[in-house]
Amino acid sequence: MTADPTLAVQLIRQVANRDRDAFSQLYDRFSTLVFTLAMRMLKARADAEDLLQEVFVQIWRQAQSYNAERGSPEAWIINIARSRAIDKIRSIRRREKSFVLTDDPSRAESSDNVESSAAASEARLTMNSALANLPAPQRKVLELAYFDGLTQTEIAERLAEPLGTIKTRMRSGIQRLREMLGTQAV
Amino acid sequence: MNGEHENWRAQGEIYALGALDGQELKEFEAHLASGCALCEASVRETREALALLHRTLQPMTPSTSIKARLVEQIAAEKVVPLPTRERLPRPRWQILAGTLAAGIIGAVLTGVLVTQRYEPRHSVYTAVIDLLRDPSTRDLPLYGTGPTPKAAGRFLWNESGEGHIFVTNLPAAPEGKMYAVWTIAQGAAPRYAGTIATDAAGQGGLHINVPRSDQPVETFAVTLEPVGTTAAPTGPMVLVSKLT
Repeated sequence: MTADPTLAVQLIRQVANRDRDAFSQLYDRFSTLVFTLAMRMLKARADAEDLLQEVFVQIWRQAQSYNAERGSPEAWIINIARSRAIDKIRSIRRREKSFVLTDDPSRAESSDNVESSAAASEARLTMNSALANLPAPQRKVLELAYFDGLTQTEIAERLAEPLGTIKTRMRSGIQRLREMLGTQAV
Repeated sequence: MNGEHENWRAQGEIYALGALDGQELKEFEAHLASGCALCEASVRETREALALLHRTLQPMTPSTSIKARLVEQIAAEKVVPLPTRERLPRPRWQILAGTLAAGIIGAVLTGVLVTQRYEPRHSVYTAVIDLLRDPSTRDLPLYGTGPTPKAAGRFLWNESGEGHIFVTNLPAAPEGKMYAVWTIAQGAAPRYAGTIATDAAGQGGLHINVPRSDQPVETFAVTLEPVGTTAAPTGPMVLVSKLT
């Protein structure tokens, strides 16, 4: 699931020049990553596949807007996927006026279609360890925002906690993550 | 970093998480738009860290058919000009009087011509034939409106998200502009479906393959937009599937 960022940057540049082979390689490198995130956020396979397709169509159309100085290819692609997934989640929420939140991440973790690369497993272990080191309340608010697309106000309502408390937990969780990942604040 | 900016950074971290809302969101977006390099960097770095959260998930592999659909879709986004031929503009009533059968025959003949003249575009021809074979595919006339009342076209559309648009008498888009194709489902915002260009005779075609809408698409439209506009239509409508 990990990708050489230098090669990925080059592929995006080639995609911006309408290179379909590069697009194919970029898809091979990042489709599992996007699809996994989409499954976790949208729950339904059909929705996740639609999202995957939309994300890569957007990449095809907007590759020229990618700026390597403003972030890694992985962060750029994930940001596109999350933005679109959150739009869908919020649209469904507005339409249905209610939604079911999955608190059990294992729902999105089917045992089939599992990619077993050592690098991906190692990265998962590292991140799972990082998350495991977060206090549960901090982890909870990060997951609700990141994977379920809830805003700070919605999380406060859902958890019946003061908004200020939620903000503090979010910031503390983010800062801990950055420290653990070696991404220090400016 | 002073106290005031510390407050911006706090908001920036929540913004990067996608959880900032309400007035705070508006204020922070305005602050970012003012060009604060510190906050921009902070948001970027926070996103980099957060982007790694997905690695806590067990990877799941999408169906291989998705890639095939994508490759087909991006190939179809290339403009497929139709063969040039002289033709007088037809009155609107003639367009309205066109039957589904005529549309189908015309589309098939067009597909044949496209294939003969543009052999590499055979996949588009095949896709159009497949669309026509499907009894659930709709064939809708497009009417010129706004700055291009003489324009006309047809829209083959299947609710699976696949379609094909043919246009005629549509002048080439001016420099810096493009013709954007939109599908509009009931109660939903217009959804960008691609960009169509026309040749010297004002003719063009575009094969469309977008994800299925939650609701049936009711209206199809083409608008003249600044190049790169895909989020929402902003320019004048030049073709529409319904007369309003």
